[in-house]
Amino acid sequence: MSTYVVRRALLIPPVLVGVVTITFVLFAALPVQYQLTAHFGSPTVKQRCGYQPSCSCATLNPASIVGNNCTCISPPTNTTRAGICANPVYQEYVNKLGLDKPIPEQWAQYIYRSFTFQWGTVSNHSTVATVYPVLKGVPVTTAVEWELPYTMELAALSLLIILGVSIPLGNLSAVNRNRPVDQISRVISFSGYALPAFLLGSFMVAGIVLLFLPHTGFLVKGPWCPGGEPLDEEITYSIPQALACYPGLAVGGTYPAWVANGVHSTPTGVYTLDALVHGNDWLAADSLVRILLPALLIAYGAIAGLLRFVRNSMLEVMNLDFIRTARAGGVPESVVTSRHAGRNSLNVTVTVLGLTFAAFLGGFPVIEDVFHLNGIGEMLAIAANPNPGLDFGVIFGTTILFTFIIVIANLIVDVLYAFLDPRVRLG
Amino acid sequence: MPTGPAAVPTEPKPPLPAALSETAPPSAAPIAGEVVLDVQDLRTYFFTYAGVVKALDGVTFQLRRGETLGMVGETGCGKSVTAFSVVRLIPDPPGRIVKGRVLFRGADLLRGLAAEASFHPLKGTPRVKVSRRFRLIRHANERMEAIRGRRIAMIFQEPTQALNPVFSVANQVGEIVYLHRGTEVLDEMLTATPNARDVAPAVAALMTAVAGKRLDEIRRAAIEVGRAAHSSRLATEAFYIARAANRPPVLHRDLLAAIAHLRISPFRRQYLVYRRRLLELREQTNRIHIAELSGDPGKTGGKSVVRARMLSERLRHFYFGVWGVRRWVHKPLDEALFWRVVRILEGVHIANPVQVARGFPHELSGGMLQRVMIAMALSAEPDVLLADEPTTALDVTIQAQILELIGDLRRRIGTAILLITHDLAVLAEVADRVCVMYAGQIVEHGTTREIYRQPLHPYTQGLLASVPRMDHPEKELSSIPGSVPDLLVPPNGCRFHPRCPYAMPICRERRPPMTQEGPDHTVACYLYKGPRVGG
Amino acid sequence: MSTSVLVPRRRGPKPHPRIAQAKRTWYLLRRNKLALVGLGIILMIAGIAVYSATLPLPWSNVPIWCATDYGPQNSQSGSPGNFTQDCPTTAPIICTYEVTPPPNAARFCNGLWYPDIVRSNISFASIIAPTLSVSPLSFGPMPLGGLATSSGSRTPIYDVYTSLLRGSDWSLMFSVSIVGLGALVGLLVGAIAGFYGGILDETLMRIVDVFLSIPTILFVIVVVAVLSVDIPSGAGSTVIIKIVAMILGFTIVWWPFYARIVRGQVLTVREQKYVEAARASGARQRRILLRHIVPNSVFPVFIQFSLDVGTIPLLIGSLVFLGFGSLLFPSTPFPEWGSISAVSVSDLQLDFLTSCYTAATGCVIPWWQLLFPGLALFFFAISVNLLSDGLRDALDPRLRR
Repeated sequence: MSTYVVRRALLIPPVLVGVVTITFVLFAALPVQYQLTAHFGSPTVKQRCGYQPSCSCATLNPASIVGNNCTCISPPTNTTRAGICANPVYQEYVNKLGLDKPIPEQWAQYIYRSFTFQWGTVSNHSTVATVYPVLKGVPVTTAVEWELPYTMELAALSLLIILGVSIPLGNLSAVNRNRPVDQISRVISFSGYALPAFLLGSFMVAGIVLLFLPHTGFLVKGPWCPGGEPLDEEITYSIPQALACYPGLAVGGTYPAWVANGVHSTPTGVYTLDALVHGNDWLAADSLVRILLPALLIAYGAIAGLLRFVRNSMLEVMNLDFIRTARAGGVPESVVTSRHAGRNSLNVTVTVLGLTFAAFLGGFPVIEDVFHLNGIGEMLAIAANPNPGLDFGVIFGTTILFTFIIVIANLIVDVLYAFLDPRVRLG
Repeated sequence: MPTGPAAVPTEPKPPLPAALSETAPPSAAPIAGEVVLDVQDLRTYFFTYAGVVKALDGVTFQLRRGETLGMVGETGCGKSVTAFSVVRLIPDPPGRIVKGRVLFRGADLLRGLAAEASFHPLKGTPRVKVSRRFRLIRHANERMEAIRGRRIAMIFQEPTQALNPVFSVANQVGEIVYLHRGTEVLDEMLTATPNARDVAPAVAALMTAVAGKRLDEIRRAAIEVGRAAHSSRLATEAFYIARAANRPPVLHRDLLAAIAHLRISPFRRQYLVYRRRLLELREQTNRIHIAELSGDPGKTGGKSVVRARMLSERLRHFYFGVWGVRRWVHKPLDEALFWRVVRILEGVHIANPVQVARGFPHELSGGMLQRVMIAMALSAEPDVLLADEPTTALDVTIQAQILELIGDLRRRIGTAILLITHDLAVLAEVADRVCVMYAGQIVEHGTTREIYRQPLHPYTQGLLASVPRMDHPEKELSSIPGSVPDLLVPPNGCRFHPRCPYAMPICRERRPPMTQEGPDHTVACYLYKGPRVGG
Repeated sequence: MSTSVLVPRRRGPKPHPRIAQAKRTWYLLRRNKLALVGLGIILMIAGIAVYSATLPLPWSNVPIWCATDYGPQNSQSGSPGNFTQDCPTTAPIICTYEVTPPPNAARFCNGLWYPDIVRSNISFASIIAPTLSVSPLSFGPMPLGGLATSSGSRTPIYDVYTSLLRGSDWSLMFSVSIVGLGALVGLLVGAIAGFYGGILDETLMRIVDVFLSIPTILFVIVVVAVLSVDIPSGAGSTVIIKIVAMILGFTIVWWPFYARIVRGQVLTVREQKYVEAARASGARQRRILLRHIVPNSVFPVFIQFSLDVGTIPLLIGSLVFLGFGSLLFPSTPFPEWGSISAVSVSDLQLDFLTSCYTAATGCVIPWWQLLFPGLALFFFAISVNLLSDGLRDALDPRLRR
């Protein structure tokens, strides 16, 4: 078993290198100043000065220079007729990032940077900086560190719901083929598949807001809304207020002492657990319900795909010979279904779960954006909004992160599969 | 098997068999031995997209205690379907047992068949409508759980596919043993009190026997150890520890450890009592089911009461269901079942039962797996064993061993065996009586000797004639012309008539009834005019 | 309870196997009511697409009057005048259809129209052929309501109904082309990898694994973001380039799924007897590949194709929701279902949330803008899904009864 795990783990680095290579291809396709901004946040120059025949920077359009002065780095010659003015700070940045070196070397440097967690900096002028001023100039890794626990929290809850619903329901619908249970599961899987998540999410948010209008008297503005009140142990908080605050939690206001900057809390980084740690049950319940709806939405989409698969694999397994042997031996039908058939179809289910993990993670940006949860998905969604400006540092950083997560998840799935199936384990 | 076109045979007609001119005695005396399984007019249809396949169309036979009935026929004639129908293992869509009675020691296993579903052709359209009542069908299948495995056991054709690949052999056989013999195992576990004074001399004797290196002595000493501790499990375990040990200190330590395992902590003991109670309740349910099948009016009620009791037991001990708790508390039972399985595997002549028991099905060969299957089937000492082509997938040498094993076990336990095969040689070796099936009907039925010496039905004659013989090597291989009929649209009247060299006009119109042609020989053919036999 | 099963009785000689299989598939599909519903919806959508692309709409040359609705709370009595300072500015714009326009049609404060109007006539030319944007005020009555891109300002109003009609052909076009291209590329790669095996197979599958490790939305975001920056927007970029770039971007993301599916199927098909027979009879590799392997491996591709076609508009919608509309499409709002629904969501989310939260009573949430495009997406995806599921149940030999 351990040899299998080791062998399987050895396959990870090539895949990771491959993924980072793809990201590198896209990264290198960016114009130079975007690459610089992605890595350094916002170098003080936006672009080069440009060609000037007389190499006099004074004649340059001042709007094209942000910050420092230009100097002449190569005057015009008789043959070239044009000189090059450039900003030495810009040059310095280019040299630091290695952008003037040949592509293979850039690739190697990129790989090195990715594996040593130097993923860039949040730029000063992008959407992220507008929405979360706290994150201006912060390294992407730190921003991720602050926001990752929220995504993990959401993912854990979603996975629980997914597994808890799809496996029993899939087994039931396979055993009772074409009976009411099967029809219900068919409806669930079809509708979940076709759901526009952002739409449904917005409907949900709208519905909740409508349900809890301020005039009903239950709403109290929480500490995380702009202009909100400080957190008080005695006040009862209502759930949707967090949803009714836009654009997000980290814009200001007063927080409990253990929430620093509103972007992350201590010690675990998620409001739910931290509230429990600090003994604040109401906040814990509030935070749990706050992620319940998004988790349900994500789970609904994943259940749609998984349910069909569980049902079909269960149907296949029920036709195999050993089920007949068990029945002929007098094993009660419920035990046959749950133990013999269920255990075998679990293998296939685990494999499919691993395959759909990528799609599962892909739903996070949209859901987190709709519900304004402080996760890396939301950060990616905000960074991808070109309205003020795209933040390539965050985009590439989160992409690499998501891919790392998926590769590790696939490893876990493979190990689990070997654990479940002795044919794989023992060869 | 004949595969030629369904043409008129070109050879001259063989002479009529001698038995045609004789008249059979009016009533044949029954063979001694009570009838265990009485199948009457069994009909099983499969409702598929292409039409209604009449896989079994009126099959009647009896199985008597202790005898081996061979069922022979070509592939697709319905032999396996018969066995499945007896224990109701036909997958309900698309198949259905539409009619018949299967009397097993007075209980009709197909009781309530008519209420479960009906089918009738729709007027005006070439379609058949089948309506099923699922709750009744599920109820009927539940009832069969009392019979399957315990009274009627079954072994199958492909042993490599017949076991669950994710569980070990001990796990699966142990499950069956627990279901049918669990009360014995639990009782033994609960009453085993290894007393150091009683056990020590037996252990010492065992150590001496090991030094002597004689297997039978070791065996006897191990049995003594078990007796001293009132635990047959210990006997088996001690034997295998003794067989595998190398040095006396290790042996002594292992034996003491095995004895220590017999002691069960109070919490685990509570769990065992709980399981015992559940098994008792299950036993009550089974008795009620059997009463329902037998039609006894008095004992049929009370199932819901038993179920309620079971549920209350489970709820009261809900903490045994927690994953970690259950694993820990279930271990002694697992081990006891393991050693019981080892003993059973010994009984089917497996040389290294401990390794086989610990292993997984994909690690074992076909012959070994078939032995395991036989062990599983016979562990509950059933009254009937349905063997569906047990040796078809195995080599000839293994085949002989398996058949010998089945015969040996039959002698020891007294099970009646329905052996389904298409190999005539196997039947000649093993079967007491033979039943020849063709296209879903039984065409001839009698003792092996009778049938082989004097086959009456043309199909049987064709079958026997087609076996290549070593003593007449120059003879051409003969075969029955034509091919097996399509059961979607079977021939009218006698189903064999398109291929029969003696076909008469009446054969095309009406199905020939089963007639008695000898003291224990019935045939369904218009060539013979003996008295009709019911069914 | 009981169920009934209709089983036909066969009469007559057996037909040709391919035809028989097709007939049986059709029969099984017909029995599956849900699959039929799906098929019906898809045919209807396709019909709408054809219709809206080629025919002019019957309502032309009719003016639409649109104005800002300030809600009943701001009741102003008296004659029309300059009430700009009295009515709040954050309110949605609604449009009504009137044959005879009010004299000073403008702001609509509490049932009265005030000067400050947006008005135009319909131009016939804007109706012909697929439009590249939903032109404002160019269509007839708005039975489903108006679609405002940013409420509170006087930007143009788009008719939800006609936008949906127009969007059908674009949605279908994008879905089919993206998935079709992806399936083709994936089929090629998968067939080659599965058939030739060895090192080629290993490397290709590693590449596919790598591609599959990146979540779809992320990959699309990254690819589109990079493309958007690289393709200068403005005079240089024509409509075609943007659309082609979008299709290519999506295809890059989509082909690995098909490659993996096809490879698995090719591995199974390769072991079949008829391949062995073909090889034994001396056929060349390429011929075997084309004539035997590919047609028999194509079945799961169809299933996956039909599943994916339904999800592309959803994916596009998600991207537009995240703000990518201007990067993906040559003009906004683009008449494509995902785009329409996402635009309405993102632009209005801020408004109605804050207005409903801060206002004391009464807020107008233009539910029609969210519901109808969402329903269109929903029915499209579901119908495709139902059909593919019915096909899969009908064609899969193991699940057949």
